[in-house]
Amino acid sequence: MNTSLDPLFFFVSDTFDLPLLFKGKHIPFSLQAAPQKNETIRFFDTFDWKGWSQKKAIVHYGSRLRIVEIKNGRELGSASLRKKPQNFFAGNIAEKTIASRLLDISKLRAFICFGTVETEVKRWRVLDENQKTVASIELRSIQSNSEEPATIALKLSPIRGYGKELETIAERLQQSSDYKEKSNFLDFYTAVLAATGTTPAYYSPKPSLKLKPGNTIHESARQLLLSTLEVIHINEQWIPQNIDTEFLHDYRVAIRRTRSILAQLKGIFPHEELYRYKQAFRELGKRTNNLRDQDVYLIQAKKFKDLLPVTMRDSLDPFFADLRNRHRKELRNFSRYLGSEKYRHFMKEWESFLKNETLPDSKTTPDAEKKTSEVAVSTIQKAWKKVIRHGRSVSRIATDTELHALRLDCKKLRYLLEFYASLFPAKTLLNIVRQLKTLQDNLGTFVDLSVQQNYLNDYLSHLESTTHNIPFAASLGGLVTALHHERENVRSHFHSAFDVFDKPETEALFNQLLNKYR
Amino acid sequence: MKTIALYSIKGGVGKTASAVNLAYLSSLAAPPTLICDLDPQGASSFYFRIVPNKKYSSKKFLKGNKKIYDNIKGTDYDNLDLLPADFSYRNLDIELQEEKKPQKKLKSNIQELNTEYPYIFFDCPPNLTLLSESVFTASDFILVPLIPTTLSLRTFEQLLAFFKTNKLDTSKIRGFFTMFERRKAMHRDIVEEYCGKKRFLNRIIPYNSEVEKMGIYRAPLNAVRPNAPAAIAYKELWEELSNEIDR
Repeated sequence: MNTSLDPLFFFVSDTFDLPLLFKGKHIPFSLQAAPQKNETIRFFDTFDWKGWSQKKAIVHYGSRLRIVEIKNGRELGSASLRKKPQNFFAGNIAEKTIASRLLDISKLRAFICFGTVETEVKRWRVLDENQKTVASIELRSIQSNSEEPATIALKLSPIRGYGKELETIAERLQQSSDYKEKSNFLDFYTAVLAATGTTPAYYSPKPSLKLKPGNTIHESARQLLLSTLEVIHINEQWIPQNIDTEFLHDYRVAIRRTRSILAQLKGIFPHEELYRYKQAFRELGKRTNNLRDQDVYLIQAKKFKDLLPVTMRDSLDPFFADLRNRHRKELRNFSRYLGSEKYRHFMKEWESFLKNETLPDSKTTPDAEKKTSEVAVSTIQKAWKKVIRHGRSVSRIATDTELHALRLDCKKLRYLLEFYASLFPAKTLLNIVRQLKTLQDNLGTFVDLSVQQNYLNDYLSHLESTTHNIPFAASLGGLVTALHHERENVRSHFHSAFDVFDKPETEALFNQLLNKYR
Repeated sequence: MKTIALYSIKGGVGKTASAVNLAYLSSLAAPPTLICDLDPQGASSFYFRIVPNKKYSSKKFLKGNKKIYDNIKGTDYDNLDLLPADFSYRNLDIELQEEKKPQKKLKSNIQELNTEYPYIFFDCPPNLTLLSESVFTASDFILVPLIPTTLSLRTFEQLLAFFKTNKLDTSKIRGFFTMFERRKAMHRDIVEEYCGKKRFLNRIIPYNSEVEKMGIYRAPLNAVRPNAPAAIAYKELWEELSNEIDR
């Protein structure tokens, strides 16, 4: 007997006649029909398809937003949503169950409407002799934009305690000559996606190349830079739409990765061109600094407010309003730049530079022909030793300059590990990255808190000294103090975070990793 | 998990109507709600058109947890399930006597339903028996519907006296008036004297012939006639009660 409460799915042909199946004296069930409806299914996911990869479908129809477990079609939660937004954040949804499910999928990324499909739905309740509902049936015809005939999906939903009845009904449905095949939610969902003309895409901001250890480093570096350029291109189209902060973030990270390779792979590209591109990417990165800072404040607005006593919180509102204003202007400027001839020209130039396969002159680029594995080992080793050397020389009080510099060293090492990831055993690499991450988290938080304090101090010094501004200035001051305490707390944990990284076990892991090619 | 019993020593005071409507209202606020029909007459099962499985009996009920879980049935309403009563429940009292700790039986028997149902309602049979005692232990709240008459009030006093003699927690008990008719002087006097007092809820359910028609609709009044005077009163009663429960 079927005791599961998961709905059953079937595909049927367009001549399928449900009422006819339930006609006849010996049938212990009757049908109660609801009026036929037209429903638009809109489906959402984050830009990087987080919902899909966690096997959750996020769909909107019949004025409700629903999360469905793809593997069994079970609705995990739903909330009334009468508006039809093009995109929304998990935090925008008031209903708690669904909001927390969405937060599990992504806190920062927006859920974007990737497609809509028109459907026609008929619904019935199946009643027993007592007129008690024992199951419900939904017949949905999904019309794609193309010439193809509509797909007709039948969903049979069980009711607890009526497993036997469900089995009888399912058998009856399958006896129909219009019955095509038993299906599942995944097939149904795929049919909906296909009708909208969308397919789940793979996107990762990290390089996912499979490098060959024997290739020249000139070849591998170009491949890495090209795949990073692809990330730049993907994200630059979305930044102007201001949908979420992650497009800019991924764009910036890709630029930093590019700069990092260029800085660390010496003797591979001709010096002059290398210098020019390094400068250009530095400039490009700089252009996005303010935008990112503003994003960070706006994401953390609630956290900042919570750092202050309740009475002072509202005084911060002008600060955030001002930020939003500046953000809007800054974004407009940067978007304009992204669309400019100058920017496009630069990117084209960079692309053709990377696509040029001929090895440069060996006099100016002595290392270009070296084996990728060899360069991977030597650069990782160098970057790792640098982190250890600089980390150990950090004074007991751990000054700002020391920590800022070490943070950059760590980032360089991290990028190298990610670039060459495909050359090394995944497990060892993962363990190293985990050790490094503890240290990076500490340093990252420290630097972020410093930047924020500086920004606020700067903001304060430009504030007009009017009576009107007193509560505002007081709350900004309160915020600086709170951030200062937090930063000093992070600073005090630096040495213990560094010790996690600087220990014989980590050293053994590095040796194990690098020994593969030594 | 919060457990709420609809209980009265006296019959015909509106226990089932109250259990069905309050449970329905509780299920609307999303969390799944369960009604356990404990009365062998099976009135609340009847209201939801639910018949117990053929093999279900008081014996299975006394085994508890999984046996109970397997016999729960979905009503026609989302998030509202029901454990139907079987006619064999008329023997529950005799069977309970053979158990080791009969007063604690119900409480332990429904423990595993905890994860699934944040709200469980008991629709109890009248009388004061061993099963009632088991309900008293298992419930966080004991709601006693009272028709504003002296006989009704007398049973309420009897219940309080029983709790005190047996050292049970009287703070679980809440009386509320049902079938109130304004044209009757006694009704008015009693309601005026007791309503809002300690252990009494403020909301009154007026006499409404629509409540009797639930037997024809076979559905919660709040689902089919949400604007009936009694349905409105039940909604307000649930609001008052859920505030207390969440406190």
